[in-house]
Amino acid sequence: MPAKPDTMTQNDSDSRDLVQGTLEMLILKTLALEPMHGYGVALRIEQISHGVFRVNPGSLLPALSRMERAGSVKSEWHATENNRRAKYYQLTAKGRKSLTRETEQWQRQTAAIARILEA
Amino acid sequence: MGSSLHAFLLRIKMLFRKRRMDREMAEELEFHQAMLREKLEGQGISKSELNQATRQTFGDAGRWHERLRELWQFRGLENLLRDISFSARMLKKSPGFTTVALLTLAIGVGANTAIFSLINGLLLRPLPVPHADQLVVLSIHEGGPTPNYSFPAPFFRALEHQPAIFSDVFAYNNNGRPLQVQARSGSEDVPGMEVSGQFFQALQTPPLLGRYLTAADDNTGGNPAGLAVVISENFWGRWFHRDPSVVGRKLVIANVPFTVVGVMPKRFIGADLMQRPDIFVPLSAEPIVDAPRHNIDEGLNAWWLTVIARLQPGVTLQQANAALRTVSGPILHAADDPNYIAQEDKAHFRFQAEPGSGGYAMARFFFRNPLLALLAMCAGILLLACLNLASLLIARGAMRERELATRLAMGATRWRLIQQLFIESLLLAVLGTIAGIAVSPLVGSSLAAFLTSSTGDPTVVLDTSLDLRVLVFAAVIAIVSAVLIGLMPALQATAGNLNDHIKDGQHARQLHEQRWILPRILMALEVALALVLVVGAGLLATSLVRLYRSGVGFDPKGLANISFNMDKQQLEGDALMRVYQEIGQGLSHQPGVKSVSFQFITPLSHRGWNGNYSAPGGNTHVIWLNSVGPNYFETMRIPMYMGREFRWNDTNASGLKIILNQSAASLLFPDHNALGRQIVDPSEKTSYQVVAIVADAKYSGMMDSAPPAGYVPIQQDEQKKPSLNAVVRVDGPMTPLAATARSLAARLAPTIPPPILTTMNEVVNNSVSAQRMMAILSLFFAGCALLITAIGLYGTLAYATARRTSEIGIRMALGAKRGQVIAMVFRQNAWVAIAGCISGMIAAVLASRAMASLLFETSPHDPWVLLASIAVLLMIASCASLLPALQAARIDPILAIRCE
Repeated sequence: MPAKPDTMTQNDSDSRDLVQGTLEMLILKTLALEPMHGYGVALRIEQISHGVFRVNPGSLLPALSRMERAGSVKSEWHATENNRRAKYYQLTAKGRKSLTRETEQWQRQTAAIARILEA
Repeated sequence: MGSSLHAFLLRIKMLFRKRRMDREMAEELEFHQAMLREKLEGQGISKSELNQATRQTFGDAGRWHERLRELWQFRGLENLLRDISFSARMLKKSPGFTTVALLTLAIGVGANTAIFSLINGLLLRPLPVPHADQLVVLSIHEGGPTPNYSFPAPFFRALEHQPAIFSDVFAYNNNGRPLQVQARSGSEDVPGMEVSGQFFQALQTPPLLGRYLTAADDNTGGNPAGLAVVISENFWGRWFHRDPSVVGRKLVIANVPFTVVGVMPKRFIGADLMQRPDIFVPLSAEPIVDAPRHNIDEGLNAWWLTVIARLQPGVTLQQANAALRTVSGPILHAADDPNYIAQEDKAHFRFQAEPGSGGYAMARFFFRNPLLALLAMCAGILLLACLNLASLLIARGAMRERELATRLAMGATRWRLIQQLFIESLLLAVLGTIAGIAVSPLVGSSLAAFLTSSTGDPTVVLDTSLDLRVLVFAAVIAIVSAVLIGLMPALQATAGNLNDHIKDGQHARQLHEQRWILPRILMALEVALALVLVVGAGLLATSLVRLYRSGVGFDPKGLANISFNMDKQQLEGDALMRVYQEIGQGLSHQPGVKSVSFQFITPLSHRGWNGNYSAPGGNTHVIWLNSVGPNYFETMRIPMYMGREFRWNDTNASGLKIILNQSAASLLFPDHNALGRQIVDPSEKTSYQVVAIVADAKYSGMMDSAPPAGYVPIQQDEQKKPSLNAVVRVDGPMTPLAATARSLAARLAPTIPPPILTTMNEVVNNSVSAQRMMAILSLFFAGCALLITAIGLYGTLAYATARRTSEIGIRMALGAKRGQVIAMVFRQNAWVAIAGCISGMIAAVLASRAMASLLFETSPHDPWVLLASIAVLLMIASCASLLPALQAARIDPILAIRCE
């Protein structure tokens, strides 16, 4: 099989697409509230952002895989309310540290952008 | 760093759970899809739009799987595994090539490892004691070419306490005769060693039970509690059945009771790597166990001890040697023979120490150079095998140009292709070397058995077991050969322009021609190397033939040697001579026996006895001696020029007599009138009458020419109880003689062990065992080299010709005759062969100079051998090249062109 580069191409070229790092931060925050499965995370992000961010599965599942590989989240198969089997993700201690770190970084960035815009 | 390590570990884990991962991913995807459908259904979308929407959001299932899997893949490792299975398939597709390749590699690697394990066992391995690197072997330098490693007891005792230089000094007997131990019924010969007081202390190995011997035991009569011995763990199991109360039990050795005071563990073998003694007795007990000999009493006349010492910590070898030089003089002058002192002073007598972590073994001197020469030859064979495989792989790789070009076009990187080709060659190399290493212990131990049996001593042991050194050596040659074989084909195959590979027409041909240069150079190198090996084998074989033809001076065919051990019986002097006379008569009455005589020293057994003699008024010369019975020269078929044989009535009373060989006679009596004259032994002040002159015969070894020698009658031997060998000239089978000798001994001297029969042919063969081994093995290697080279020449030419099938077809269609085609193909290899022969000849002439010391009467530049080697090589090369040429001529032009 010919080699393909390891970058992700997005399915939707929606203007409301999230940058990869930001998505991971949002997922971490969502999971910090409670463990849930992939679909639940997407739903929750959509709800809390009032529909501004619609995470498509093409970004979500790979992102969750990457985070699991890096050790920020861990996964377990559980039964849902409807007695379906789903993979539930939850934060690890490493994930919590990442969340704190990335939140700080984001706030620094937004403050800087705000200063530039007001100048 | 931590997260990448974590990721790495997870990837490895995923490798094993691939299928489960796939299943889980599919399930998760499905769940997500199902939830999405539910939501959309809830929003009231119709079924068909549902499917469309889902597909839009999710895309193609296959690509999803691929993308997700990519995250978990351990691509590097998976590629590696895939390459290996691909290579294995390719190798299975051409079984002939694979078998030949594996076989040649296995021979090369196996031979090298086997010979190295021999070298390791004989030369490199240290004694299994702590700090073996601090041990040194002492020797005596008397001005001769080689030092003397045997010490007389007085010199050893003088050196035993040198605390400034050595922390311990010990000695053991090197004339290993077995100890006669009383068993339940009769007596048994047990291998043993007489060791001095500091022996065990210097070797620093604690005993398994009890204690070991100390200086207190090394006194006449033993320590105050009596005579003590230490036994080995093997003997403890065999004799005492591992009885835990063995300490304090008695062993009766040579009819004297000894007390067992300790047991040494299995890993302790003493100070001689080639011996495995079962019983260690104190040195001072030598007169008891070695009766009737008394080497200690003989003082300076018996040189029978090997002396080893342990350096004081912090003392270097140079310091030790300097200190030894200063004590040599005083020790020499304390001896009680003024003539000897004067003689040795002139010869710059001194003691010397040399590194001795492996102890001392006389066998090393015989086998060191032959083994090293063999290792060089093995390395040559391995190089040959690697070159052969590399050129064959390159040739084969050129056939796969299209496949590689297609893969390049589809997006593989050049690096990826090199990796895969390299893995292919590597697989071959690894399998071949594993096969070789697996076989080498067997080969090594059979070679070791050959070497040890040729020493004539059944108790000699050569340990060729694998240890760290051998394993490291094997690993190194495996890696080197793998790299040599693997790298070149891989680099070569992927060079060149992409388009030219796919094109198969006129434009591409020139490039193809260029790419055949490397295999041709490799083949020429191979031919050169093969020539060097063939020349070496030819020289060694010629040397061996000349060695045998040079004759030994007597006729060994039909000559039997029966050795009698008279130590343990009562008769001596004239009474013992009468026993020998009766034995001789008994033997001569056997059917087929032509004549019988006796000798003290068997020729070619590396034993020696010499003395100084002079004609009255002449100079003193060293003469090598033997004591022989009546009719000796007739039995041995040594020509007698003048005079008479000894007779049984030539006893001491009738006056001392001697028979000289030609060299001795010319040396002592330059005027050639030796018969009837007297010669004198200046130290003993005795005079001998020369009663005969005989032809020269070889004395202690085949390679040395016959020395000046003298023979004295056995009746006049100084020893009271000599153990002689009967020599019997037999017409017909010799084995019945053994039974006869046994019954004669049982009747006339019932207490002696059974006499041992060997044929003189065996003795002669054993004395040249090193040369025989070299000649046989070098011929085997030369044969392998020729075979490998022939296969290589055939293979590369066959591949090259297969590539040119269409070209040859066109030529034949345009009118070329069969002969022309054959000549054209043949010519390609002819240049290779000729270039190889020329360079090989130069290399052989240079390399054979190193072999000069191993050759007998053969010059390393013997023109006949060189010419014959070239002829053999050219013939083999021609045959190997003729086959593809003939195949090329049989090409059907129409088929060939159509194939394009």
